[in-house]
Amino acid sequence: MDSNKKYWKGLEELNKTPEFVEKNKHEFAEPIPIEEILSGGGLSSKTPRRDFLKALGFGVGAVTLAACQKVPVHKSIPYLIKPEEVTIGVANYYSSTFEGSAILVKTRDGRPIKVEGNPNDLLSKGGLSASAQASVLDLYDNSRVKDPKQNGSDTGWEQIDQFVKSQLASVAAAGKKIRIITSTVHSPSTQAVIADFITKYPTAKHTNYDAVSYTGIIQANQNSFGKAVLPHYNFDKADIIVSFGADFLGTWISGEEFTRQYVSNRNNKSLEAKKMSRHIQFESGMSLTGTNADVRMPIKPSEEGVALVNLYNAISGTTLPGSKKLANANTDKAIVLVAKELVAAKGKALVVAGSNDVATQILVNAINSLLGSYGTTIDLDNPSRQYAGNDAELVEFINEAKRGEVGAVFFIDANPAYDYYMANDVKEALKKVSLKVTFADHVDETAALCNIVAPNHHYLESWGDDSAIEGYYTVMQPTINPVYNTRQAETSLLIWSDNAVKDYYTYVRNNWNTNLLAKGGLTGQAGWETLLQTGFVKVADVAAGTYTFNKDLNAVAQTVLNNSAKLADGGKVELQMYQSVAMRDGKRANNPWLQELPDPVSKVTWDNFAAMAPADIKKMGLDEFEVVIVEANGHKLSLPVLSQPGQAPGTVSVAVGYGRTAAGLVGNNVGKNAYPFHSFRNGTFQTTASATVKATGDIFPLSQTQTHHSYEGRTVIREASFKEYVKNPSVNSGKEGEHQTFSLWDEYERPAYNWKMAIDLNACTGCGACVVACSAENNIPVVGKEEVGRRREMHWIRIDRYYSFNQNGEAKVDGRSGKVTQEKEIDKLENFDNVSVVHQPMLCQHCDHAPCETVCPVLATVHSSEGLNQMAYNRCVGTRYCANNCPYKVRRFNWFNYWNDSRFDNYLNNEHTQLVLNPDVTTRFRGVMEKCSMCVQRIQAGKLKAKIEKRPLADGEFKVACQQTCSANAIVFGNANDPNSEISKALKSERTYYVLEELNVQPGIGYQVKVRNTSSELQA
Amino acid sequence: MRNISLIFKQLTRSILLVAGLAVCGLNAHAQADAAKGEAIFKAKCTACHKIDVRMTGPALGPQLEQETDDAYLTKWIQNNQALIAAKNPKAIKIFNEYNQSNMTVFSELSDADVGNIITYVRADYKKTQAAKAAAPAGGAAGAAAESGPPSNMVIFGLIGVIVIAFIVILVLNKVIATLERLLLRSKGLLIEEEEVTEGEEKTPVDRLAGVKKALKNKKLVFFIIVCGTVAMGSWSWVTMWNTNVHQGYQPVQPIKYSHKLHAGVMKMECQYCHAGAYKSKIASIPSLNVCMNCHRSVKTESPEIHKIYDALGYDPATAKYDSTKAKPIQWVRIHNLPDLAYFNHSQHVKVGNIKCQTCHGQVQTMQEVYQYSPLTMKWCIQCHKRTEVNFKGNAYYDNMIQVHERLKKGEKVTAALLGGIECAKCHY
Repeated sequence: MDSNKKYWKGLEELNKTPEFVEKNKHEFAEPIPIEEILSGGGLSSKTPRRDFLKALGFGVGAVTLAACQKVPVHKSIPYLIKPEEVTIGVANYYSSTFEGSAILVKTRDGRPIKVEGNPNDLLSKGGLSASAQASVLDLYDNSRVKDPKQNGSDTGWEQIDQFVKSQLASVAAAGKKIRIITSTVHSPSTQAVIADFITKYPTAKHTNYDAVSYTGIIQANQNSFGKAVLPHYNFDKADIIVSFGADFLGTWISGEEFTRQYVSNRNNKSLEAKKMSRHIQFESGMSLTGTNADVRMPIKPSEEGVALVNLYNAISGTTLPGSKKLANANTDKAIVLVAKELVAAKGKALVVAGSNDVATQILVNAINSLLGSYGTTIDLDNPSRQYAGNDAELVEFINEAKRGEVGAVFFIDANPAYDYYMANDVKEALKKVSLKVTFADHVDETAALCNIVAPNHHYLESWGDDSAIEGYYTVMQPTINPVYNTRQAETSLLIWSDNAVKDYYTYVRNNWNTNLLAKGGLTGQAGWETLLQTGFVKVADVAAGTYTFNKDLNAVAQTVLNNSAKLADGGKVELQMYQSVAMRDGKRANNPWLQELPDPVSKVTWDNFAAMAPADIKKMGLDEFEVVIVEANGHKLSLPVLSQPGQAPGTVSVAVGYGRTAAGLVGNNVGKNAYPFHSFRNGTFQTTASATVKATGDIFPLSQTQTHHSYEGRTVIREASFKEYVKNPSVNSGKEGEHQTFSLWDEYERPAYNWKMAIDLNACTGCGACVVACSAENNIPVVGKEEVGRRREMHWIRIDRYYSFNQNGEAKVDGRSGKVTQEKEIDKLENFDNVSVVHQPMLCQHCDHAPCETVCPVLATVHSSEGLNQMAYNRCVGTRYCANNCPYKVRRFNWFNYWNDSRFDNYLNNEHTQLVLNPDVTTRFRGVMEKCSMCVQRIQAGKLKAKIEKRPLADGEFKVACQQTCSANAIVFGNANDPNSEISKALKSERTYYVLEELNVQPGIGYQVKVRNTSSELQA
Repeated sequence: MRNISLIFKQLTRSILLVAGLAVCGLNAHAQADAAKGEAIFKAKCTACHKIDVRMTGPALGPQLEQETDDAYLTKWIQNNQALIAAKNPKAIKIFNEYNQSNMTVFSELSDADVGNIITYVRADYKKTQAAKAAAPAGGAAGAAAESGPPSNMVIFGLIGVIVIAFIVILVLNKVIATLERLLLRSKGLLIEEEEVTEGEEKTPVDRLAGVKKALKNKKLVFFIIVCGTVAMGSWSWVTMWNTNVHQGYQPVQPIKYSHKLHAGVMKMECQYCHAGAYKSKIASIPSLNVCMNCHRSVKTESPEIHKIYDALGYDPATAKYDSTKAKPIQWVRIHNLPDLAYFNHSQHVKVGNIKCQTCHGQVQTMQEVYQYSPLTMKWCIQCHKRTEVNFKGNAYYDNMIQVHERLKKGEKVTAALLGGIECAKCHY
């Protein structure tokens, strides 16, 4: 057993900083100020006695008065005419689509309360990202625009229609340009509406642009193969994956789909077949994908181009002009070894790069072509439609507008005043446009510059369709009447262009009847109804063709190397912008679930920051969370610094998507806007820059959850290499040398069910979708930055992220052994680049010998005969003994009445957002403890359904919320009494171990050992 | 003599009876057609027609007054579909007017039957019209008098008047008494009164002495204190345990709906209205379209039913709904389970086969429903401990029964034994 390996959650834990040691002594961050009251002026002054009597008098009076009303009168108001499909108290599910993924929307009594994946969805097979899970909350956001606005004041739709139509007529008469600026539109019907609009107004033009752009890849494919498409990648067909800064498990193109594909070669099933892919990641900042890599090499952004040129050289056996060695000998050697592995896996290899630079992507195309990836791991014939933005067209629009050529502009789901790198240009440009219409659902940064705000429906209120992948068409249907006085953007465009069909639903129907239904073999009304039930049609894939790159690379390599050289401006640090997994491009900044979701890597909530390598921070003498001024491209930003192990030295990473100033109550002024650091070069936006970092001496504390729940250094992670695993599948699972355990308690029967869970650490990528899904299902409150800072976040499931030093071999790091086995050695170690990461979802373990149960003085938490650790909120008196005694630190205390306290108004506590609550789960009051219930409401509902239908409960009939949303299928849940159930099989796996099983608390959740397909050669 | 008079009396009675019957019979004979027609009308037509009000079909009185071609009417009533198929213009017109809904075909009615119906309808309509014409003034007065139950203002006003009258009487009494006393004093008769008061003053002294004596008896004092404590204690114990227990709670509902009539007399199934009880956690109060299934034609004149019409924005005269006037009825919830307890009707009604009356009492005998059960956790648990699980024919329990039979060797299996009293069965 590899017990010597040291795992740590944060540098403060590793270095045992005095603050950390002090904080860790206490279960709760702040003690109740009893001593202060007893010792301080509290009792000695004269007021308390009087106050006491006043309070007593008031209390007695109030209680007497309250007792006078015998029964509180609750009104019960039935439907006047009940829709046939609604049964009060029973959920209905409607198929719909979110960003091209087929989803199911759970509605209760006419209001959507949860978004769930459609198990037949082509992309993620029922998995959903954190943003999709959180999207339902946006529907009830009370900072949405509630009425159409003209010049900032509310008006009616008729007035808007009149105004816009007359303006459009005059613009058309004057022959001025009309521009429709959107983030990528991949809905066929919306595209058709826009096309019809352009037919009516021939001076109109549609421009797609994405805040975080993929134009580089699209143009590279145009250049290399004559196909301007974003390819469809098949990570499941790749045995070796090499990524240069592409966060493909998180934010890159289609994270959920790629997660599903990627994990299919690494999960239990694959491992049992003795098969595992290898993933090598070269990147600057630590990304979610980087944390999952088998081998991760930190490189500077400027080294990426050099590394790719070298990789091409090594694979092709030629030498491109201008090639040079990398500064880091290890990385240089690694490139050659990676090339060797890639060539060996020809046809089953995949190289991806996150860069938006056309030349870099052409180089990647050339490499993939050499590796025979086209037709296998890369599909250019069934391309992705998820991103089709054209950066140059947006820049061109702004120039046109500045020249006064544009008469009217329409923004659909586009906010260039926030996410364009030169926001002032947008402001200047829009001043010269007479008709500026935005369909934004908030008065966002762009809407503030527009004269018309025609608020669009939320997608759960809309008809529509989508097509994320060529040949895959999903349908969107409304699940609620519009909450506010909004109108679908498409309807507005139809009305303004005097289309023969003014109603978008009819338009969508017509479009499907004539174009799309037939593709799925459906016809007419019956076909449409089938479609509404299944949610999508799929045309058989075109056979993916093989493509060979045969363009001249010399000039391309030269461009790449020149750009790299420019970036590596001596003496400066290299700045890299990225999207955080929760916040992405910032469009959902007003969603408190996403703001409070700890970033998978940094575990920071409610902020962005400047991530720097620990060595650099030490060199600069910066304190923890010290504010630094990052300056690049003539733009300055002051950000707190975060010491990020794994960050390439000499680089700083900043997340975009923060610093919204007009997002709404929740999202305003959270973090700083990093979009101005972008630049425009060779037709695409660039996400890297050379920058300077200056210390200010100020401290801006970040609410970082990484060390909130401590195990006091006990081993909770078990890890093995693939080589070891192949030799002995139960390696490192703690099964050797089992020690005898003794039980103080009687064993209880589990006569009917024995609910257990298994979590495959090798499948879990740490994305955090389960955290948001759990919040939505179980009415978990959002507490805000301050409270998270006090270690009071309420999430029932958290993802613990552990760092460890790469234990491999006898490699010399800074002249010392790279194998760190003793804490005293850690102190001397200064190289934090080479860390590996394990993610571990941690939730209530439902221990059979639960330590929390024995210490509860009021028996508020007891065990059920089905193996669940039950929590009766109304029995709890809030002693918090259970939280103290829980070795897993999964119990959460309600410090406030979060659902009815004006201090939390910004988050979920208002009459609109409370509509999202799950009526089958109680909201907890101040002063009680809560924790994971294993979605007992779903267990009970599942059992009841079987009872009503008079049949035994089938395995997998219902899923718990975290399991359901997991694209990686890392979580298995079920009845362990049934020997044929998935869970029984999963728990029988040789890799299964239980966290802290030596305590003999007999946890109900089995974890499966993390296996890493490491390479001793690469890391040497 | 007595006998004779008796016989005479009986004789007269029977003669009168026969004579009466004969007269009636004659009358009846004269109206034979209409009476037969009425019988057939009530049996076959009233489901869709009324004489003076439009329902599913037209109001027959005015319709038949307009339409005098009895041959056509007979054809229409016997087989309207044939007329429509033959594209008879009159038939098509009325068919379209009533949303092309088909009238039932009555081919079993003879021409004479139909004639009887027509005669009856015309006669009846004439009668009602005549009655209406005769009493327009009386009708108006009656309508004013009938305008709903007395309002709260009236009731409070009346109570106020009574209270004031009572006070006036009291004051007057007092005044009279004072005046009488003055009168007596002036006559020198007040000494008697004083004597009486002196006599009364002596007795309490004696009584107090008895109390003092009793207080000295320590055993008695102790006994009384113990009794008092026990009484107070048990009273507060019961009160505290029953805090927030609203057994017997019977709020006033916005509509005087009688469960006794619907569920008792009419023997309607509970699920007809509370359809959710079989499917959902909530039994649900019926939406008004359920009421309208019957009350579109039943008791349409009742002011309580008109509350339903008002809520729906329904106009019984035109049978049209105006959703702009609709406003939902706000019933007062009787059974208020706290939010912290999860209760599911379908589990109990559908799976457990529990009768509604077990928890809700004999609702079919209640004019107004009240909370029959205490709805306390103790009450829930007691029932779960006693109630045997209804295994029969439910394959869901197949695996579990075996386990339990092994466990319990034929002992009865209650809900509690299957985990029915564990916290997370109701609290989550």
